[in-house]
Parts: sequence; C-alpha cells; structure tokens
Amino acid sequence: MSAEKTGAENPGSGQGIEAVDLEAGYGRIEVLHGLSLAAEPGEIVAVVGANGAGKSTLLRALSGLIAPTAGRVRLGGADVTGRGPEAIAAAGLAHVPENRLVFPTLTVDDNLTLGAWTRRRDKAGLRQRRERVLEYFPRLADRLGQAAGTLSGGEQQMLSIGRGLMARPSVLVLDEPSLGLAPRVVREIFATLGRLRSAEGLAIVLVEQNVRAAFKVADRATVLDRGRVLLEGVPSDLLADDRVQQAYLGGGYAVD
Amino acid sequence: MSDLLQFVVAGLSSGAIYALVAMGFVAVFSVSGVINLAQGEFAAIAGLSALSFTDAGLPLPVAMLLALLVVAVVAVLMQRLAIAPVRRMTTLVSIILTLGVSTALKALLLLIYGPQGRGLAPLPGADLVIGGVSVRAQELWILGITAVVAVAVAVFYDRTVLGKALRACAEQPIAARLVGISPKAAATVAFAVAGLLGAVAGVLASPIQLTQWDSGLLLGLKGFVAATLGGLVSIRGAVLGGLVLGVLESLTAGYIDSGYRDAVAFVLLIVVLVARPGGVFGRHAEARV
Repeated sequence: MSAEKTGAENPGSGQGIEAVDLEAGYGRIEVLHGLSLAAEPGEIVAVVGANGAGKSTLLRALSGLIAPTAGRVRLGGADVTGRGPEAIAAAGLAHVPENRLVFPTLTVDDNLTLGAWTRRRDKAGLRQRRERVLEYFPRLADRLGQAAGTLSGGEQQMLSIGRGLMARPSVLVLDEPSLGLAPRVVREIFATLGRLRSAEGLAIVLVEQNVRAAFKVADRATVLDRGRVLLEGVPSDLLADDRVQQAYLGGGYAVD
Repeated sequence: MSDLLQFVVAGLSSGAIYALVAMGFVAVFSVSGVINLAQGEFAAIAGLSALSFTDAGLPLPVAMLLALLVVAVVAVLMQRLAIAPVRRMTTLVSIILTLGVSTALKALLLLIYGPQGRGLAPLPGADLVIGGVSVRAQELWILGITAVVAVAVAVFYDRTVLGKALRACAEQPIAARLVGISPKAAATVAFAVAGLLGAVAGVLASPIQLTQWDSGLLLGLKGFVAATLGGLVSIRGAVLGGLVLGVLESLTAGYIDSGYRDAVAFVLLIVVLVARPGGVFGRHAEARV
C-alpha cells in the first residue's frame, strides 16, 4: 500500500501495551480477575472468549474508560494505570470502540479531524495523517463530505479505525470490528490491520467473536474465560486445542 | 390586518429573547444532559450588572459587553463549583441542583440590588412606523442582534473544530473521550456559551421588560419551553421555538386577553410533551445541536 516504511518513526518507546495482573469491573462487580496481556510493536494479539469473558472490559481498562481496581497498565513503557481516557489517548493509545461509535451528523472528514484532537495544533501533521489514513481506507476518500451516520457498516468501521489512527497512536485496540459485517468486508479490514502492523509498527490488540478471521491475521492469541487468561499462544496451536475447537469452532457453529 | 402585523412584530421581538435563552438551554443540555434552570438568572444578572456599569458612568455598549463577560464567568463558575463535582449526573439531579443554584442566585440578586425593577437605556435609533405598524428601535436591535448571534452560534457548531468537538461530545460521549475530548472541558465551554446567550437576552430585553432580581424566573421558563418545542438538542429548533412562542403569546394577549399571555407557554409545554416529546420542529433523527 504505502511505499514508505514508518515503523522506524513510530513515536513512543516502542514497547507497546502491557497489562499486568489487571483487576477491573463495574461498581462492585469484578469482571477481570488478575489478567495479564501484552502486545509488542509490530504485533497483532487476538483476544477471544465467550460473551462475558471480559474482552470489552479489558479494552475499557486499557484505554482508561474504567479505572482498574488492581494491577498496572503500561503504555510505551510508561505507567498509565488509573489515568483517564483523554490522557491515555494523548499518550498514544487509540481505542476503536464496539459498534464503531462514529459521530453520526459530522462528516467523514470532521470525524477524522476530531480523531486528531490530541494533536490538533499540528495542522501540517493533520493533513499528512489524513492522506495516510485515506491510503489505508481508500473508500473513505470518496465519502469525505458525507455525514458519517449515512455510511454503510463496513465504511463506519473503517472510519472508526481511521479516526483512531489520526492521533498517530503507537497502540491500537479494537473491540469486535467484524461485528455485523459481511465476510468480504471483514477480510478487507483485517488485511488493512495486517498492513498497519507491518508498515506502521503498531501494537494491535484485536478483540473478536469471529475467531477464525482474527486468528488468520493475529501473531499471537489469548483466550479469556470469566475474566482470566485460559490459554495463550500462536493461533495455529490454539486452533488445534480441543477446548478452543469445542468452545468456538465446533458443533457446526458458524464463525465465518 | 395592521393589528395582526403589529402583534406579530411585537411577538417576534419578545420571541427573539426567548430564542436566545432557549439556545442557552440547548448548548448545555446537548453536551452534558444538564437542564440548567439557572439559565434565566444569567439574563437577570446581565441586565442588573449592566445597570451597575452604566450607573458607574460607563457608556452603554461597554456596560453591555462587560455584563456579558460577568455572566460568562458566573456560568463557568457555576459549572465548576456546582455541576462538575457531581459524580453521577442525571437530568433529574441536574434539575434539582440547578433549581437550587437559581434560587440562591435570585436571593443574592435581591440582597445586592433590592426588589425594584429598572430598565437599561435603549440602544440608539428612531422608532419606525411602517404601514401602520410601529416598531421600536430597541425591537429592531433585538431582532438584528438575535439574528447575528443565532448565525454565529450555528457557524460555531457547524464550522469550527471546537464546535464540532462539542457536537461529538453530544452525539457519542464515549467516542469523544476516546479521541481525547474531555467532557468536563466541553461542559465548561457549553456553560460559557449558555452564559453569553442568556446575557445577550438579558441586556437586550432590559429596556423593554425591565430587569429585577426575579425576572430570570419567567424568562428562563419560557426559554425552556421554546427549547423543548425544538426538541432541546437543536439550535435551529430553539430559535424557531422562541419565535413561535413569542408570536403566539402576542396574539393571545392581543386577541383574547393579555392576562393569558404567560399561560400560553405552559399550555404549549403540556401539549408538546404529551403529543410530541421529541419536539415539534425536530425531525426524527434530528442532529443534536
């Protein structure tokens, strides 16, 4: 896609994201019971698990939407535990939320501009970044003036990821980007994630229900079960594991 | 016919005042879900402090601008001291809380300024009579300034990055936080905008309606009705709601009985809330702000 290699100019320490013994939840209900996970720059880590396993809660704790009750979160080597989402976004983490959450009445262009909110004073960087994002998601280029709410689901997902990329993050975490999308669109988006990993050197945490698609692009994978890490390893090994087969891929349950 | 026109013109100018107050309600509610019942007090504080400034010998335009500044500061302080510290703000909590702030502000105004009402000197210009309809210069100023302010507010939300960030907070608060827009900062800006809008209403209305410690009560309630007519999240709806309310009041006072003037707003409010809770002018998926 883009000719330049930008892995070298990747900002931050180049140490990705790391959660250590993380405990978090909502009010008195604890969802994560001491969970550890790391993604290095240039690596996609898939996080799978049943509903209620704590996948979304994990991402919310990483991005600061909820404050962990115990454990640490390190971003690019710096401890960001307990900081708010605005601060963590500014520190280089982009959280692409479940259900895309684009700003519906704002244009595609405005959505992208606001994605760079933490770097809004850098006007020249903003233009460059927009061009780069549009190279990754060329479909958005034809829709710049359109209200984001009128885009198709796949385009909204691309916009949501593109909005996250506008801040030049070092870490990208995505919450079920395949949700409700046609397999062809999922392939297209996941292929782009692969390019973002290689060309931008991003550390990517990919939370997915669509295990097959996620395992295809991931370098490593983690299976969560009720707030703990059940299994982790290389996707091909996990696919051979009986428990994964049974839980996610067996019984004629279509995942792709 | 000229009666009708006269009523409409008078209604439009009082409606413009409601529209300004209503835009203030929308500015705050759309971003933070807070219904600010002290919105009317912003107008009263503006009128009274402008009077103090003219008493101190300052020229009228300077006094008016200073009053806007005073109210913007009051609005931001109110947000910081009374709204921001609340952990779990709901719309109901906000109504109770801002009712308290509104009552406290009224008491403070009564202590400082006493009970008597006074009017600011009108802005310069000759009253007009066009086709049997007389229009006061102050009414022309009200219509003109309201039009300029409404356009400025629309441009702010449609064209500036800060305005778009406020809309982003209103539409998708979680996504807004994730891109780094602080909801507290957004609420502060929203209150400053609301304060300015209420203050413009206050200094413009003062020469016609007089300003006293409690004149924010009725103005605030009518502004709220106007904002509700527009669905509470639309600037355009709020402007339209204010103008419609003003004209309906004026027609009711003119053709039925002036004693019913203040009842119009509340009858309208009940009808709207029962029949079209989303606002009369709001389309279904109406853009917030």
